[in-house]
Amino acid sequence: MTTLTTIQNSLRGEHALPLRPAEQVMKLERLGALHQSRLSFMRSIVRRMMRERWQISFRRFDLDDQGYGTAIYEIKAAHGLFNFVIFSNYLSDEARNDRVVATQWDLTMALVDGEVDDLYLEKLRQNVPKQEAGRVDSRVFVLSRANRSARNFNYVVDQLAQGEQPDVQKIAEVGYLYRTTAVYGSGKLGMADWEKVQTRYPDFARPFAAEMFVCLMLRNFSLTQAEHIARHRTPDTFQPMRDDIKRYFGIGNSTGLGMAPYLVNHPHLINQWVEMRELALARVRVLGQIDSRIRERFDQLLQRCRRHTEQTVTEDSWQSDNNQQVLDDIQALCHQTEAGINSWNKLIEWSENHCSLQGQELLVSVILELYPELVDDLEDYQAAEEFMDLDPLMPLEQLKVQIETCYGWALDIDFSAPGAKDIFWYRSEEKMEPRLGESAADQGQEKQMALGVGYAVRRCYDQLCEYIEQNPNHTTARFMVACPKRRGIVRRIQSMCRCLYGDIQANLLDRDILPMHLLRAKLAFFGVSKFDPKSKLWVRNTMFQGAPLLEDIGKPFNDDWFMPLAPEQDSGSDNLSANR
Amino acid sequence: MNISMNELKAALRRCFEASGYYVGNYEDAANMILWLEKHGLNGLKELEHALPFITADQDKPLSEVVYEDSTSAIIDSKNRSALNCIAASVDLAHAKALESGIATVTVHNCHNRMFILKALTDCGRRGISVAAYWRNGSQSVTEHTVAIKAGERYPSYSKAETSLPSTPEDKQALTIICSSRVDLATSLQNSKGNQYVLHISEEEIQRNKEFTIDNGIEIDDLLWQKINEIGANILVENSDRSRLGAG
Repeated sequence: MTTLTTIQNSLRGEHALPLRPAEQVMKLERLGALHQSRLSFMRSIVRRMMRERWQISFRRFDLDDQGYGTAIYEIKAAHGLFNFVIFSNYLSDEARNDRVVATQWDLTMALVDGEVDDLYLEKLRQNVPKQEAGRVDSRVFVLSRANRSARNFNYVVDQLAQGEQPDVQKIAEVGYLYRTTAVYGSGKLGMADWEKVQTRYPDFARPFAAEMFVCLMLRNFSLTQAEHIARHRTPDTFQPMRDDIKRYFGIGNSTGLGMAPYLVNHPHLINQWVEMRELALARVRVLGQIDSRIRERFDQLLQRCRRHTEQTVTEDSWQSDNNQQVLDDIQALCHQTEAGINSWNKLIEWSENHCSLQGQELLVSVILELYPELVDDLEDYQAAEEFMDLDPLMPLEQLKVQIETCYGWALDIDFSAPGAKDIFWYRSEEKMEPRLGESAADQGQEKQMALGVGYAVRRCYDQLCEYIEQNPNHTTARFMVACPKRRGIVRRIQSMCRCLYGDIQANLLDRDILPMHLLRAKLAFFGVSKFDPKSKLWVRNTMFQGAPLLEDIGKPFNDDWFMPLAPEQDSGSDNLSANR
Repeated sequence: MNISMNELKAALRRCFEASGYYVGNYEDAANMILWLEKHGLNGLKELEHALPFITADQDKPLSEVVYEDSTSAIIDSKNRSALNCIAASVDLAHAKALESGIATVTVHNCHNRMFILKALTDCGRRGISVAAYWRNGSQSVTEHTVAIKAGERYPSYSKAETSLPSTPEDKQALTIICSSRVDLATSLQNSKGNQYVLHISEEEIQRNKEFTIDNGIEIDDLLWQKINEIGANILVENSDRSRLGAG
């Protein structure tokens, strides 16, 4: 049985498992090459919902023939009862805007504790459609909004109304009916704080569980709404969508720079997610037995990854090149394992010499997929207490050594080199949206966010070295009284050095920085697929493609929707294991 | 209006960042206020007292250690708010207690000393017992004490109105006692002249926290507006060019 103690023993000390080192794992380029895995939050919330057989049904379905109106789902989870409220309003094509600065959306929605009565519904109706311009209270966990993929939505409705199924090829190109453009939780706009969600609601007590659940519910509503409109348009010819095609619909997502500051401002949490993923990998490397069943499954998954990547459509040349590289890596992996696999260690070492970072990390995700018994229980340990505690007694010489050891990557950066400090991150007055500026060309550098951790470490180190010369016997506490400007970074250094993986190793001020890596890292932990960058600053992707439908709850479930594949157009299969 | 703890913390961080607080200090300041409010100890009221003065601190000299030996120190905080200097004083007491078993740090010329409670509670959580004592007021003098035992999550707090005369030295002074060996507990004596002695136990402070977690924080509209107005100074003006850097 996994406990906090067994995890600690696996991470440190004489029983520690062989973990990949921080200097390998925390490089930004590698984090930006991560893929979804069994530990991704979408996988976790679906497992929970399916295993606990949550009961989810409409309490209210007041949509007109065009699909506009109000719907309320009732969710009976293992520990509590929740309502998911959706407002569907008409939005012209011209008014549809996925940017954070938009003020109107096709759908707005809220996940609420308990039953929503008419009075409370009215309160939600006055506020939820306004999103950032509205206010809710601490009964609400998550607030979100979504816009139709106009082309796909109308096409699917037309097809169903005519008694036809959607063309699977088209879904492979755009695998969703709606794109969510923001999912807010953790106390924003008056909602319940994370502390409340974590301590009062065990059903959603893992990081981003409630947010992911809302996206899953949105995906299911989008399919119901499309069928509803089609049915009312031509009741005589309407045919419902086949379940296997439904499962291939996910929910679209657009993610911009907002995630980047989150990663830098929550280093304990990111460290924890990385620790659990790396621990899972280390468990498999040591304990994962390779037999014929595992071997066969490995081949199946590699082939599935190949087809999934082939079915990934993007206009972005950088991402296209990456996808092609992954396909080459998969081919090389297939070739390498043709004669058999003796050891995961050897295969991983081989991949490190012969595959791209994306290929290497894909192999990790595939290997984790093979051993649910070694991986899945770590999902209960994805949360972290985020205390940035100063160690006041630490001698300054020790602090200096700690910086050299844990932040050698920062000291290796030449901040006087051209371009090393060309970028700054700031908050725009427009909805406080994070943006990137160029030092030489943009206004606002004096108001930049403190995201240049590497540079802050460098400046702290330089000042510390000077201070030590004068005061060799002082403690950190004494240094902090004399140099309070360094308090934030010293506390961060000491805190993150207590963690196994620590900070993301990159200079976020460099002119060549690719914020896309930060976005992808977090999205991979969420569990998205089909990365489709629209610039180096924002990316479209697909959530929950291949996930079970609400109608599947209570049916056999093998948790096998990793790297989902397009169903056969004519198969008519409703089998949950269509991915095989 | 009602806001969440996260909203208050984020708005306060922006407010203090815009007021010239350093990285590390603006998080501390936000956390100190939030901690008091979350635990039913009027953090927002304390903030209202401090708010008119918070920008002035960036022009003041830094705190200075004016005396130090192995078990004690005296720090002159140069009329700064506790919001930007008291955490470092508590850290120094903490370090000395770890070295010597017990230590005393006296802080002079420090305003808004009630905000020490968050820093002190952090020590308790980390296995160090701390007590603090200070007097406040020029007309009628109040005295305050707070203490937390090693390993605990919540302190106790006492306050009383006294008939003590106000002295210039007392007005902005604070005494911190810190120990890695002894569990410290404090309460105000029923001294002659003391009135309205208020004692808030650890249990009560914990109950207040649970209430806030469930219900969020009530804040005066004008104060909320003021905090956000100050914080808006860290936001950069929107322009067509800046939209190019948007995600």
